[in-house]
Amino acid sequence: MQSRVSLFILVYALMIVLSTVALYLLREQRVDVYISLNILSYYVSYAVVRPSISTNIVRIINIILFILFIAIVAYRIYEVLAP
Amino acid sequence: MNTSLLILGLNIVVVSALLSLYGLIIGDSGLVGIAASLGLAGGVIVAYSRAPQDPSTTSLLNYSKALVNTVTSVLEDLDLLESNICIARKDTELLMVYSKTPCPVEVDPGLGFSSGSPYLAIPIETPSIEITETSSTSITEESIERVLRSLLIDDLTICRGVKVASEGESYRVFITGLAEYLKDFTKYPIDPYTILVLTVVSYTTSARCVRLVQRIHMPEGLMLILRVEK
Repeated sequence: MQSRVSLFILVYALMIVLSTVALYLLREQRVDVYISLNILSYYVSYAVVRPSISTNIVRIINIILFILFIAIVAYRIYEVLAP
Repeated sequence: MNTSLLILGLNIVVVSALLSLYGLIIGDSGLVGIAASLGLAGGVIVAYSRAPQDPSTTSLLNYSKALVNTVTSVLEDLDLLESNICIARKDTELLMVYSKTPCPVEVDPGLGFSSGSPYLAIPIETPSIEITETSSTSITEESIERVLRSLLIDDLTICRGVKVASEGESYRVFITGLAEYLKDFTKYPIDPYTILVLTVVSYTTSARCVRLVQRIHMPEGLMLILRVEK
């Protein structure tokens, strides 16, 4: 089980490094873009590696990140619809 | 808890806080974004540091193997290796009974004799499961499947799929994607899948006795055929 967690953290860290470096090189200045890409990296690595941990804190983290992602997307949609 | 992961996560959070502070001071929102992303990763690592570690799983497996070997030896001495396995209800207590007699009525925990044949009865902890149905008449294969999924997949993560089919008082429980470290136990009389499934069915149906009719090993998993005696 621990090896799955280590693999998950490794994949997640690699994805964060790639996305963050790419965004910074593109001179991206919006904070929410970094956070939303980080959340996407989390869910992609979670779906690929499937660490299969069902502790309460992991469930809470999943819910919080999902709500944060929805809030960021909703804010961006709101900005487009009502500039 | 994994202390090294916890320390790593906390360090990342502290570094990200300092980096975001620096980004705010120099007015670089890109740097603040990197810091926020880093802080989020630190938080995730802190959360995952609370996952169970390999050494505890290994020691628990060794402990379980020692217990299973002991009980198997006792069953062998009592000539109960080819016995009937059932969960009997005694007041509020559930007992896992190994006996030549199917579903013996009067059993006490430990070794004993019922209808002239020996039995071994082991008290079973009632699983922490929630039953939404209020009456026992509304217990269906779907509700048993739901409870089994919640316990075996969501809480214990010891299999990938559970399917329940009923034929009168008999239930067929098909468990797929067994956990690698528990596969060996299915060859022994004391097998976590059998115990958990029998306990859940006994608990949800409130039956006097739930008997294991057959245990079929399949390439994809395990098939348990149970009979509920009300």
